[in-house]
Amino acid sequence: MGIKGLTKLLADNAPKAMKEQKFESYFGRKIAIDASMSIYQFLIVVGRTGMETLTNEAGEVTSHLQGMFNRTIRLLEAGIKPVYVFDGKPPDMKKEELAKRFSKREDATNDLKEAVEAGDKDAVEKLSKRTVKVTAQHNDDCKRLLRLMGVPVVEAPSEAEAECAALCKNDKVFAVASEDMDSLTFGAPRFLRHLMDPSSKKIPVMEFDVAKVLEELELTMDQFIDLCILCGCDYCDSIKGIGGQTALKLIRQHGSIESILENLNKDRYQIPEDWPYQEARRLFKEPNVTLDVPELKWTPPDEEGLISFLVKDNGFNEDRVTKAIEKIKSAKNKSSQGRLESFFKPVATTSAPLKRKETSDKTSKAAAANKKTKAGGKKK
Amino acid sequence: MLELRLVQGSLLKKVLEAIRELVTDANFDCSGTGFSLQAMDSSHVALVALLLRAEGFEHYRCDRNLSMGMNLNNMAKMLRCAGNDDIITIKADDGSDTVTFMFESPKQDKIADFEMKLMDIDSEHLGIPDSEYQAIVRMPSAEFMRICKDLSSIGDTVVISVTKEGVKFSTSGEIGSANIVCRQNQTIDKPEEATIIEMQEPVSLTFALRYMNSFTKASSLSEQVTISLSSELPVVVEYKIAEMGYIRFYLAPKIEEDEEMKA
Repeated sequence: MGIKGLTKLLADNAPKAMKEQKFESYFGRKIAIDASMSIYQFLIVVGRTGMETLTNEAGEVTSHLQGMFNRTIRLLEAGIKPVYVFDGKPPDMKKEELAKRFSKREDATNDLKEAVEAGDKDAVEKLSKRTVKVTAQHNDDCKRLLRLMGVPVVEAPSEAEAECAALCKNDKVFAVASEDMDSLTFGAPRFLRHLMDPSSKKIPVMEFDVAKVLEELELTMDQFIDLCILCGCDYCDSIKGIGGQTALKLIRQHGSIESILENLNKDRYQIPEDWPYQEARRLFKEPNVTLDVPELKWTPPDEEGLISFLVKDNGFNEDRVTKAIEKIKSAKNKSSQGRLESFFKPVATTSAPLKRKETSDKTSKAAAANKKTKAGGKKK
Repeated sequence: MLELRLVQGSLLKKVLEAIRELVTDANFDCSGTGFSLQAMDSSHVALVALLLRAEGFEHYRCDRNLSMGMNLNNMAKMLRCAGNDDIITIKADDGSDTVTFMFESPKQDKIADFEMKLMDIDSEHLGIPDSEYQAIVRMPSAEFMRICKDLSSIGDTVVISVTKEGVKFSTSGEIGSANIVCRQNQTIDKPEEATIIEMQEPVSLTFALRYMNSFTKASSLSEQVTISLSSELPVVVEYKIAEMGYIRFYLAPKIEEDEEMKA
């Protein structure tokens, strides 16, 4: 899933690109959320103990609805305006990755059977999580729920991540929320992690700023995409023996995968025989997205619809749903609070910090030096 | 090198008490002209701008523009150790990661040094343009504090409307509603009790009372408060600080919902 080890690589090499933010500080902001990823998390986490999950009378799983309902209300109560983006058709390149996940799930299902027979509770707990799959039905349920709640839904032509990034690039939303680091590779200017974590975990939201990532890593966006492909992405294999740190070093040294391939010691590193990195790069750079989305609108909830869907069809407690609807309605009031940034624009400060940052001088010099070498490189 | 000597040390104590509820960490900026601070609350709804002009200090030395990141709660803790009549001196050396607060008793028989660690704060600085406001209300700060406190026991938001009649503060909540109207009142012999309204055109804006209440913590700094209002702009609530500067609070208004949202 996502880009292997990118979080750690950024924490080590671009700490200034990551900022911890309070959940509350995103009020009034429109945020695109990768729905499939969230649904997957809900299915794993919400109301699950061992093989037992939340179900309705017909025995269908309702964890995703419970999760989606509660988490979305939490966002609305904080004054956040969420937009959920659903996956469309996966790109052909991802099929291999999906097939791998499918076979892993198969294995887990088989192991699970054995574990259940053996009565190994820990293994059941662990393996049952691995058998979780988001089906079209889950997606449709959530879409229906969100529409009833008055929350906009966007259906991506292909990858939800890419669509989220495109919405953010075009200022349709303030930021993208996902747990998948792909968002950065797709160039989402602002990317949030842990926004959808349960409040009980008390994990602050981690905000990534792509421009700062590039500045700190001293890479161009194209080089960053190459770096992500080298780290290992969903679209193709990576070179065995090259992890994040080495990949960063190589990219800084050679500038692109092509040039790395020319200079790499082929005896030491085995390059996959069929390695469609160019194709992967194209998917990150020009993903199949659409900006032709309907205007994002947050409307009042459809109370009757919600009660009929959640209480009658899915066995939710009526009192809770009614209370939750009240919450959605009162949250509307909160979202009307304006933010200062919509009136005043940020400016640069002129005063230097008294407390000297040991590294700041060094890095700025290094960045300047790097720019020179880059410029020189182009001339050749 | 930085050395600022403030004879009326209690001013600094009051300033801290006024802003520490709104902002936890902030950068104090020091330049040749004065000692200032600009910081937003964590949800970026309210902003505080403080200025203490260099002339207001008995001694003011600041060799180059500096910013010092401080945790305001910690700073308040230290300043609470200063007596109300103490002279406070703020000192910092170049390249140091601490700031020193020196408290001298008025009789010069006790000198206390408190050294506080500075921090790196990554803060956004907003450019605030000078604007002409549609209405400017000047009134006793105690009166304004009382109104905000009273209204917040009824509702969460206050509508401030300025008309020819005066300035009206209204709220409504589950138990009922409230309206308070203050009329123009220029008491000649007691200027600090005057209520003066300068209106270019009528204006009405809605604000969260929670923030207003927090602003009124600055009431001890000044007898009078100035409230400047314009539609499409954050309100400015200003308290003058004894001829040497001001503390200004900006608060973004509540915005009317879009047409579709109302439907």
